Amino acid sequence: MSSNSDNDDFLLIERAQNGHEGAFNFLMTKYYPRVYASLYSYTKSREDSEDLAQQTFVKVWQQISTFRGDSAFFTWVYRIAINLAKNHFVSSASKKDKLNISSTDLEIEFATFANPESDLMHDQSLKKISSFVDQLPESLKTAFTLRESEGKSYEEISLITDTPIGTVRSRIFRARENILNFISEELGDE
Amino acid sequence: MSNNIDEKLSALYDGELDANEIDEVLRMLDKDANLQKKLSSYALMSTSINNLNNVQSIKSNSKVRNYSFWFSNSITAAATVLLTLFAINQFDFSRMSEDISAKNQLNIAMSSKEAKEIVSKAEENLVDHVMHVINNPDIDNSTPYDIDLRNVGYNRMSSNGRMFNKGNKNFLLRIEKKNLGINKVRYWQYGDKMIHVVPLTDGRVVTIYGNIDTQSAIDVANSITN
Repeated sequence: MSSNSDNDDFLLIERAQNGHEGAFNFLMTKYYPRVYASLYSYTKSREDSEDLAQQTFVKVWQQISTFRGDSAFFTWVYRIAINLAKNHFVSSASKKDKLNISSTDLEIEFATFANPESDLMHDQSLKKISSFVDQLPESLKTAFTLRESEGKSYEEISLITDTPIGTVRSRIFRARENILNFISEELGDE
Repeated sequence: MSNNIDEKLSALYDGELDANEIDEVLRMLDKDANLQKKLSSYALMSTSINNLNNVQSIKSNSKVRNYSFWFSNSITAAATVLLTLFAINQFDFSRMSEDISAKNQLNIAMSSKEAKEIVSKAEENLVDHVMHVINNPDIDNSTPYDIDLRNVGYNRMSSNGRMFNKGNKNFLLRIEKKNLGINKVRYWQYGDKMIHVVPLTDGRVVTIYGNIDTQSAIDVANSITN
């Protein structure tokens, strides 16, 4: 596999390609939510998204040796997920009841999507988290945001903030810890 | 020690850990459920932030996202679901790590079943089309703006639009010059709306998306060929 600047996970991917299950588990855990979210936006169904996400990673595990690093790893995984979703979507539609329109003699197939509005909830939780991040110490917030929102490397963040790379690493970690603690303590009981 | 390994986990998550430290973290992860949970949490947090862009491109009512703040501008279904699972239900994504070989075997069986269910390219195009109509109802370069449906009782909702209504029925109409490989009416329910895809005799396809029953949609499509 050629090195690709989009592939932060190069070393993990390489290990997974050599059969290292731990490395693959890491990649799967890292990308599972993104795959799930992508599938959810496609299927609007939690159950289908979960099933498809699991199928996706089974295929990823089977085919990871074919990943050459020509695209970002997630792009490659995403393509597998969406192809599975398309097939699922089509086969679901074709399995549903067929109805006939008496006046037209046309065969009609019927499929139902879940109502996406039913999954829109807990807005307040997200607002609380956003507000919490806003209140993080400036140094943590900046490092965290540059990494998570902008996808900057530690070296880039180091240059931008004129801070040693080790400090950047520590700040991002501390920001994550703070946010996770907040979620656990403040939102866990809702 | 714990803090040190957690920080290394965070760095590995970002692809920023030195090669000689990776195996140490992977070994710890293999036997430490809390560390696995932490990794899942990082992934959920990151996805919730970054998913905003992706989902907004799918949602027709997307809002402009400001640089540097996540969550604050709009709430998306996927991000909300993730956070709901994460914060409220303590859903454990790391359970996916449990048995790869079993899943592998399962998938071999599924693959053969799946092989039987592989659909034609035409069907795939149809699905793409329907998903496109759902996700990007405003993107349409092929439908003319001068379609007149008054002969079947529908009025245009704006002078240059493709939305029509009659009483409580209203819908978006599209005409594709390609036939999408279908020779029969297909329809789907999406939320409280219907999507009808109706082939015309001249090879075009009419898509009608909105609050309209199937017979009325067919009547509308037939009126276009008359």
